[in-house]
Amino acid sequence: MSEPVIEIKGLKNYLGGQWVHSDVNLTVEKGEIFAIIGGSGSGKTTILRSILMLLKPTAGTIRVFGENLAELDEKGANALRRRWGMLFQHSALFSAMTVLENIMFPMRELASLDAHLMRQLAMLKVTLVGLPKEAAGKFAAQLSGGMQRRAAAARAIAMDPELLFLDEPTSGLDPLSAKQFDNLILFLRDALNLTVVIVSHDIESLLRTTDRVAFVGKGKIISVEPMKDLMQNKHPLIADYFSKI
Amino acid sequence: MIKPRPEAHLVFDKEKNSYLCEGSWSILGVGELFRQFEQNPLPESQKLTINGSKMRQFDSAGALTLITCIDALQARDNQVELTDFTEPQQNLLGLIKEKREVLDYTPPRLKKKNILYKIGEEAVHKLNQMNGLIVLIGDLSEKIVAAFYEWRRFQFPSVVSNINSTGVTALPIIALLSFLIGVVLAYQMGLQLETYGASIFIAYLSGMAIFREFAPLITAIIVAGRTSSAFTAQIGSMKINEEIDALHTMGLSPTELLVVPKVLGLLIIFPLLIFWADFFSTMGAMIMSKFMLNVGYIDFLTRLKDSVGFKQMLLGLYKAPAFAILIALVGCFQGFRVESNADSLGTQTTKSVVQALFLIIIADAAYSVIYSWLDL
Repeated sequence: MSEPVIEIKGLKNYLGGQWVHSDVNLTVEKGEIFAIIGGSGSGKTTILRSILMLLKPTAGTIRVFGENLAELDEKGANALRRRWGMLFQHSALFSAMTVLENIMFPMRELASLDAHLMRQLAMLKVTLVGLPKEAAGKFAAQLSGGMQRRAAAARAIAMDPELLFLDEPTSGLDPLSAKQFDNLILFLRDALNLTVVIVSHDIESLLRTTDRVAFVGKGKIISVEPMKDLMQNKHPLIADYFSKI
Repeated sequence: MIKPRPEAHLVFDKEKNSYLCEGSWSILGVGELFRQFEQNPLPESQKLTINGSKMRQFDSAGALTLITCIDALQARDNQVELTDFTEPQQNLLGLIKEKREVLDYTPPRLKKKNILYKIGEEAVHKLNQMNGLIVLIGDLSEKIVAAFYEWRRFQFPSVVSNINSTGVTALPIIALLSFLIGVVLAYQMGLQLETYGASIFIAYLSGMAIFREFAPLITAIIVAGRTSSAFTAQIGSMKINEEIDALHTMGLSPTELLVVPKVLGLLIIFPLLIFWADFFSTMGAMIMSKFMLNVGYIDFLTRLKDSVGFKQMLLGLYKAPAFAILIALVGCFQGFRVESNADSLGTQTTKSVVQALFLIIIADAAYSVIYSWLDL
């Protein structure tokens, strides 16, 4: 077995006068689609932010691709950041640029590619996420919510990351778009050998896409198992969560 | 440790007629490869193999580069065969070949507008803007008149908070800047007066200049810079956040809730700010006169009272309502014109400050013309 892509040991976070996490342990294996769920306020997003180095954890170690995040210098951290892509909840497309420019932006800033090749590569990402080619020349404001999400996904995979983070990828999408987006996640994982980490509430979408799901509650990971099994789990917090939905 | 990432290479072996892919064929590694590949002379009309066994990484950028290379070789009548590529790598190549024809699509450029179109567009834009401003003024007047029938609608708490943020917090900077202007004025005038031995006229000259022009103008410029931009940013971000729409759907009027308190607050505080600037400019001029021209404080103030007097100060204060309304209106108006993209808030804020300053100077000129007609 190769080394895990993400390995979290004893993660603790103290934020705003309270312990968000008291002891979080997680491993994400290469090539899997891994989801983190839990009630609102349980600290799902905080785990994600800790992994993304947007938040310095109070205690504990996080290893991504075997690198300990706490020991990385700025250069190492940036090299690591280039190996992952993040899709934000509200797409976060740069509104002053067209979709194509949005995708080419990280390429232009981080890699030294021939302009023609870069344009072709960006168009490749546009088609990979299932956008019509005409969408490439449009601005984010001219696209529907589902298409914006796809465009944001195209930007997230612009640098061919090995690891893709998705924060609530299907929230606010209609059921059809959500389903199509799920298929896109599966397709991208297979086509580009991605490892995917999702934070989501969308049970349907999690059932369709994920390999394993971690349930966060009371500052800990209560259980990690496939979604189907998790829904049958008798732990009071988990049963409570699913009974309310 | 991050492993070093040697760049991708395509090494040609003449004896075996084969290319060997080396290094990391990832988006960060292929930059140089393609340029090098095109510079070297390419074989023609041969049977070639490309070997992928030494490749360390292979992502879609690498795959696209490889396909482009193969195309270049095939264009020279070579037969190309791939060997030692793993299945996922071949799948990736296949995937990209499938999408081939879409990749060269370039989105149509935005049509260039000719000069006539631009002039027309700008004219329509300006007319719309004028229309919008007039609508806002009408709306505002209606709301203020209506408020006289229902006092609650004056939004007093909001007015007070606006007085604080636009007036009270501006006191230190207005004091400092007008003091310095007073010093500078007295110095420049003093240089001339001294040569004529007419030092005592410094009180008259600087008093006139300060009361009638400098204090109102300096105050207006500072307030325009601080406040009209703040108004635009506040209303603009509310607009982006759909808060303005939220007010509309509740049946509340954004003009009443947001614009009226700002206009009233500024109307109340602006004359006081000008007086504050009058006070500090005069102090600056007085201190400078003492040091430079040896005009004592008491002499200065007596001359000021006799030759300039309260009337000239009032002429400056009369400008306050016009300036206050202009600044508040322009600030709010530009705020409502913000659209939901990142650029818009910035452009509208800039516009609001520039237009406020522009209108202040025009209004000031208008005042001068009116005063000269009235022989004041």
